[in-house]
Amino acid sequence: MLAVTFGDLLFRFRQFLIAIIGVTLVLALALLLSGLVSGFSTEVSQTVGGFGATTWVLSKAAGGRITAFVAFPESESLAIADESGVHDASPVLLIPSQVAHDGTTQLTVNLAGVVPGKLGDPTVTEGHGLNGPNQVVVDDRLGVAMGSTLVLGGHDLRVVGTVRDRTLLGGTPMVYASLTSAQAIVVHGQPLITAVVSRGSPAVLPAGFTTYTPEQVSATTLTQLQSAVSSIQNTRWLMWVLAALIVGALLYVAALERQQDFAVLKALGASSLALFGSLLLEAIIVTLVASVLAEIVANALTPFLFDQPVDIQPSAYATLPIIAIVVGALASLTALRRVVSADPAAAFG
Amino acid sequence: MTANLGINELTVEFESSGYMVRPLDGLTFYATDGELVVLLGPSGCGKTTLISCLAALLTPESGRVVFSGQTVNELKGAELALYRQRTVGVVFQAFNLIPSLSARSNVMVPLRLAGVSRAQARVRADALLDRVGLTERAHHRPAQLSGGQQQRVAIARALVQNPPLVVADEPTAHLDHIQVEGVLKLLRELAVPGRIVVVATHDDRVTHIADRVVELVPHFVNADRAPEDSTLEAGEVLFHQGERGELIYFIESGRLEVFRIRADGTEEHLAEVGAGNYVGELGPILNLPRSASVRAIENSNLTGYTVLTFRRQFPGAVPGNLSQRSAVP
Repeated sequence: MLAVTFGDLLFRFRQFLIAIIGVTLVLALALLLSGLVSGFSTEVSQTVGGFGATTWVLSKAAGGRITAFVAFPESESLAIADESGVHDASPVLLIPSQVAHDGTTQLTVNLAGVVPGKLGDPTVTEGHGLNGPNQVVVDDRLGVAMGSTLVLGGHDLRVVGTVRDRTLLGGTPMVYASLTSAQAIVVHGQPLITAVVSRGSPAVLPAGFTTYTPEQVSATTLTQLQSAVSSIQNTRWLMWVLAALIVGALLYVAALERQQDFAVLKALGASSLALFGSLLLEAIIVTLVASVLAEIVANALTPFLFDQPVDIQPSAYATLPIIAIVVGALASLTALRRVVSADPAAAFG
Repeated sequence: MTANLGINELTVEFESSGYMVRPLDGLTFYATDGELVVLLGPSGCGKTTLISCLAALLTPESGRVVFSGQTVNELKGAELALYRQRTVGVVFQAFNLIPSLSARSNVMVPLRLAGVSRAQARVRADALLDRVGLTERAHHRPAQLSGGQQQRVAIARALVQNPPLVVADEPTAHLDHIQVEGVLKLLRELAVPGRIVVVATHDDRVTHIADRVVELVPHFVNADRAPEDSTLEAGEVLFHQGERGELIYFIESGRLEVFRIRADGTEEHLAEVGAGNYVGELGPILNLPRSASVRAIENSNLTGYTVLTFRRQFPGAVPGNLSQRSAVP
């Protein structure tokens, strides 16, 4: 039956090519959606990890989310730093903000006020770190040039350095300023902060505070995007269904066209199982070829389609062909009845 | 090994458009080793049905198909598959080659399905294509071949297992006269000791190359004998749907009901006809089985005519129109 299978693939090359193109695009989109979901998680982990802390101390009211603006006095950081088990501690003020660039462009950012030279002060990839007032270090996704000026809360801030892969909540870039500058901009100079980052965990905490590991902070912060992640996951399922429908429709039409061939092959001694196996193999070949092409297309499209981080995991690449085989197998079921019902006596027309 | 074929009281019945039809009704004939048997008859007379039974693709209602001691219509499972693969080779009217495969691959298909290696199947296919004169066209697809060439490929495919029984359904139907000559010559050559070739056709010219001719339809049109009077009591059936008969009945007195039996066994009333009308003319004229049954509604007197005597007696009668009152003498 292999000769019949490959003969049919060549004979209906255009039909199969159209299906392969369709399935490739659908699988590529599914792969990209998978990358988007992973990207949400990866960006939070990278940004949280970038603070260099082993412990985050947040107000209980924040629920573990570093982006929940629940402020408390900066003096609490001194109390926490004095606790046994803490080797290093530093206050952080983190708040979503809008910055103006080039006079008119409004950009959404996450402003982080950190103490220069202490925990949380980012390591720059270009330029230099924070070493004076009215300076900012920005994530390169913000797309502003070194030395340019951002306006934030009426304050002019000069870009002195850039960092890479420091975004939160779907590609929103981080902007790092000194804690003093951030407090001046956001809370009119009041000594307020939203987190204390530390190395080592305090043995005792002031009332109303909780400690989190970076992993816990990442996970709870990510829950803000739960609805978006869920929507993307559902869309990804739809993509698999769509891929199965494309291949299924192709096979069903091919089975209709080949009804007489099936009857003849049965009259020549082929079993229904062998004929179905032939269609199954065709479906798997189509989806496997499409899955390989989808991986290439997804990689090629990523930089052009999305501003936010897309992190297609190696496991996603590895499982795509397996999913493709399952999709192909399910799709081939559409033609099963046609194969089984083919009457060899119909070969006589 | 010698081949012999016996068809014994073979009856096939199936549903068509809601009615039961019986294309074969108690057919019996025999063929011996090396014979070319021609099954002759018009369209619809059951030729293809019989070929399907010989190929073990259709199971009859009753009767037996016996080939070389093996009762074909009782085969099941692996035995049936083996019979289809090894014992019988089928040549279809419309060639039925797989369009996506080359001529060579088409011939190889039965061997590959039987588990023969690709290399061995290829050697066998090439030898057969050489025998049917198509070596040069081995790599062409069916669409690139003429009708005659496609039929020769189909014959090569039927022969690929060297089967002792070859059946061909209207093998010349789609061919011009030059192609017909080549295909018939080939079929004639296949009928050798150890093999029986059965060819179904409506073309009586094919009978000239046959060792045995089986006419599936009796010729009623030329029957010529005196009219027969008959009497029916109320409820008595004159003839049944599916039967063959040579008489056309003129109703002298009484009334008859024309009805059909549906596949579910219920009756469908078609017409009532009375004195001065005739019934049952189409079957004898067209050599077809009766398409409906007729029974007496009341006691009736009838006269039965053969087709020739009917035409002489009623020259203005229009066959097929039950409402047409005959030219009553």
